Amino acid sequence: MSSKHTILAALKQSAVVTAPKPLINIEPISVSGLNESNELSLVEQFATNLSTVAGKLITQGGKSALAEHIQSLIEQDKSVLSFVAGVTGNRQSPDRAHEMHDVDFTVLEGQVAVAENGAIWVTLPEQHRVTPFICENLIITIKRDTIVANMHQAMKAIDFNACEFGVFIAGPSKTADIEQALVVGAHGACSLDVYLI
Amino acid sequence: MTQTQTKTHAYKADIFCQDESRVDWHSKALWTLREKRDRAAKQLPEWEQLRTLGSQIKLHTLSNLGQYLETFEANCLANGIQVHWAKDATEHNQIAYDILSRHKVKKLVKSKSMLTEECHMNPYLEQRGIEVIDTDLGERIIQLAKQPPSHIVVPAIHMKKEEVGELFHEKINTQAGASDPTYLTRAARAHLREQFLSADAAMTGVNMAVADQGAVIVCTNEGNADMGANLPGVQIHSMGIDKLVPDMDSAAVILRTLARNATGQPITTYSSIYKAPKSGGEMHVIIVDNGRSDMLQDNILAESLKCIRCGGCLNTCPVYRRSGGFSYNYTIPGPIGIAVGASDDDSNSIPWACTLCGSCSYVCPTKVPLDKIIARHRRLKAEQGQLPYGKRHYMPLVGKLMANETALNCSMSIARTSLKILPHSLLKPFAGAWGKYRELPAGADSSFEAWFKRNREQK
Ligand code: SF4
Repeated sequence: MSSKHTILAALKQSAVVTAPKPLINIEPISVSGLNESNELSLVEQFATNLSTVAGKLITQGGKSALAEHIQSLIEQDKSVLSFVAGVTGNRQSPDRAHEMHDVDFTVLEGQVAVAENGAIWVTLPEQHRVTPFICENLIITIKRDTIVANMHQAMKAIDFNACEFGVFIAGPSKTADIEQALVVGAHGACSLDVYLI
Repeated sequence: MTQTQTKTHAYKADIFCQDESRVDWHSKALWTLREKRDRAAKQLPEWEQLRTLGSQIKLHTLSNLGQYLETFEANCLANGIQVHWAKDATEHNQIAYDILSRHKVKKLVKSKSMLTEECHMNPYLEQRGIEVIDTDLGERIIQLAKQPPSHIVVPAIHMKKEEVGELFHEKINTQAGASDPTYLTRAARAHLREQFLSADAAMTGVNMAVADQGAVIVCTNEGNADMGANLPGVQIHSMGIDKLVPDMDSAAVILRTLARNATGQPITTYSSIYKAPKSGGEMHVIIVDNGRSDMLQDNILAESLKCIRCGGCLNTCPVYRRSGGFSYNYTIPGPIGIAVGASDDDSNSIPWACTLCGSCSYVCPTKVPLDKIIARHRRLKAEQGQLPYGKRHYMPLVGKLMANETALNCSMSIARTSLKILPHSLLKPFAGAWGKYRELPAGADSSFEAWFKRNREQK
């Protein structure tokens, strides 16, 4: 008997009582004390939670602020790889992923942003999957109307049928493996700036 | 029963407890994590609802596990992922080695996986000429120190920064005497980048396997799993059969509690969903049983497979915090380690490394009834005639004494009087190990029964 069949046969002996699949029906947390419209309060929640995971939200200036920032980075001799239309870097995506090891900044588009935890859903259909991890610093753009309240809503907003690889990114990479001291910048990007465009 | 070579939990804990200041430091570090967890949980009004849902999702999946595994496999295959089944650790290691040797892999970069620890995969591959690099910082530290992990989320929690500094100085040429965590982390970043860029294959654990997607979800804070899996041509993901969830909606529930319960973060930095091989690459998933289906045959032990490995129960456990991760005779320490490892513990002692306080069960995000499972293990050991040395002899006597009212009342009254009139130094030897680090209690004036008669019964 193959191991697959051995395992499946053993599972037939399971003593676990059949349990129904629960209904997952969790209302988004209501935010009280804010006079703004719900949309604005989602931005605020997102900004707060992004900062707890060591990222920074830039709400002013939109895409032109980003383009200006990139321009100044290039003037400082930084290498920038951009996948956002209208924002030009000075690097191209190479044939071999490994060649991206010295990219200073990568600019990517986020598809869905989650207010409860500061995470942003990023997919890379055409590019090397290592792109958001290998760069020294990461910049992600998000649109205001793609911010959802929580993970349940995020899952509904994302079309997983179309994706082969995707990642929720919440801040720059970090570790606390040495005596619980938080160090930002482990193996992935050392900083994350998010531009609201 | 014959006495075995394996040392008991108490014996190993004794070694850890020799350095009292280290014990305090260890306990405090873990308690800090517990406090962060409490703050994170409190911020979600629906926390308890999420725990209930987490438990229900896992129970539902476990009760239909065969079906879900087959759906998962079919969807993986449709996505171009190669799926392998391993009934035990040996078969898992063979499968991994076969894949690697077919691609002539010399260097494997690995992200954290308690399953490969359980299978003792690293030495297996190393003996066959493959260099295995653990890439999670904590894992890399203990790998360089040639130690096993002492915690499932923070594997080097037992080491002080000065010790890490010394180790790094010796192994990766950091400055002598340097102990600054930022400096050491940056040095490790540079060192491990070289490994990522020169590896021929990558291996990761799996946090969740999503049946209806044919995808695996991998969560890390450091990004090491993704740096690994996305560079070389071959990526392998090892998972226990218990990692299945039905769909992304279910995964969302667990993604909301996992990091919050582990370290108090709202979510890990990266939660990656691998649903197909990268272009030109190969993606393999190894589905491993290794005793899990046996556990499912006992309806109490089965619930330990609801575990999502957040480590919350370790952080809160008063025994783990003061006995260290190396005292459990199993790769996974703490309450969940007892739950999944006690059957294989031939010192027959780890089910007693527990006060049955229940704190672990209360913090668990999927409501694994850890205290109930641990009590069950004690019963199983007793039924198999494998109570630890000592307990085997006196417990039956204690049972008889407790069952006899006159004898019990009489001996309790002797005990109360002795505690009052005899010097404690004389009585201490009778308290055994219990009295070693404790003061004896003051003797009460009367029995509880008498007190109750006087104060409550007539009212
Ligand atoms: S048993 Fe519960 S608390 Fe312990 S590691 Fe597993 S999920 Fe976390």
